[in-house]
Amino acid sequence: MAEEVRLMVRTADQTRKAELTLGGASTGGEIIQAAVDNWALPADTDYTLVNTTTGRAVAPGESLAKSGVKPGDVLEVQPVLVAG
Amino acid sequence: MDSDRYLRHSLIDWFSQDEVRAARIAVIGAGAVGNEVVKNLALLGVGAVDVHDFDRVEIHNLTRSIFLRESDIGASKAEAVVARARAVDPRVELNAIDGDFWRTLRLSSLARSSAAVCCVDNFEARLRLNQMCLVAGVDVVNTAIDSRFVTVETFPFAGDAIPACFECHLPHSAYQRIAERYSCGWLRKTAYAERKIPTTTITASIAGALAASAALRLGNARDHTARRIFFDTLRGVSTVTTLDRQSECAGCGTFARRPRVIAAGNDWVRRLSEATGIDAASSDSVLRLSDALITDYECASCGDTSGAASHVGRRAADFDDRITLCAACGMKAVRVGIREEFTAEALVARFDRVPPPVKYALADVGGAWICLDFEEEG
Repeated sequence: MAEEVRLMVRTADQTRKAELTLGGASTGGEIIQAAVDNWALPADTDYTLVNTTTGRAVAPGESLAKSGVKPGDVLEVQPVLVAG
Repeated sequence: MDSDRYLRHSLIDWFSQDEVRAARIAVIGAGAVGNEVVKNLALLGVGAVDVHDFDRVEIHNLTRSIFLRESDIGASKAEAVVARARAVDPRVELNAIDGDFWRTLRLSSLARSSAAVCCVDNFEARLRLNQMCLVAGVDVVNTAIDSRFVTVETFPFAGDAIPACFECHLPHSAYQRIAERYSCGWLRKTAYAERKIPTTTITASIAGALAASAALRLGNARDHTARRIFFDTLRGVSTVTTLDRQSECAGCGTFARRPRVIAAGNDWVRRLSEATGIDAASSDSVLRLSDALITDYECASCGDTSGAASHVGRRAADFDDRITLCAACGMKAVRVGIREEFTAEALVARFDRVPPPVKYALADVGGAWICLDFEEEG
């Protein structure tokens, strides 16, 4: 099992932030779902996860370990916009 | 006179007016962001802009669309935008294409563009343009906004290697949201209410500026990395994110290299046979069509099949869920079979030598993908 990492998760508007310890096997999709559930984010919106420390996106099916997330990194839950 | 007009541009050491003049940009969607993109391209003195939109001007568009006026209400958005943009710089070639780009834009035409800018308002069109640009080898800039945030993503498909595509980082929920709009997987639900997303000219204008710059590769001509700029207009901050390619991606995961496009048209059976080395009429090579086709049409209640002749073999996208209503018994019980993958043999059997009514088909030929372009004669 991949090691745990302690990191910051926040929303794009930065009104919600949490320091969390997550398993390295956690995927981008799981973290987004937890953010939507715990912070009651609008359910009619889609979200993507970005590691703002490294400047790389964490894909929905990608684990934190595979994406190279390190302790102290900041993950941002950003809305996937669709209007044009 | 040209040198006077572009005098300020000539003072910028990283800006080449000649390269901008040589560019041809396809703008898909002439709404809020599309207006801003066209405005910026025209002001910059780009060579040509092709503006695609099937929509008509409505009064609520006027708060966000620089080129639209009350007198345009009811007119084609693409034509109204192009008519006014021509006055910005008469040297810029501007073309309005009034229609759904999926119907009006051929792969071969797209391939002549320097880049495409996606300014549409739904995921389905974004997926389709992403796939077309990947196959055609054309950079695509994907733009999207809401009332606060801006996203501008660049997928540089013109390079030799395939970078991440739009689908590589698209969440599963987006596919579920698309699926909610369809019955039987492919038939648009007539009762589905589209969600209205509020936007303003603030987010539209920022998206339009970043997108025009990305489409022209201003300042980063050699960058072949897929990137997303996410801008928060209330806080005035942005994040720039590198998008890595995902091997499981539904859009690009199966391609080691870009598919080789073959102009197939009415000669598609021979072209496919040449590409595979096997007579297509008896080949079990699987073709993945750009559009799903209706394969079966039978009422599960009364067994009536009289509607099959007018439905089978046509694109599912040409219909909505009202076709599940049986004309014979009146029950909503018609079973509609729909598929997008066929063996070459099955397609030949169904359509003979006539190309199927789709844009193109992708086929894996020993690990090297080919794309049969049915809209272009070989």
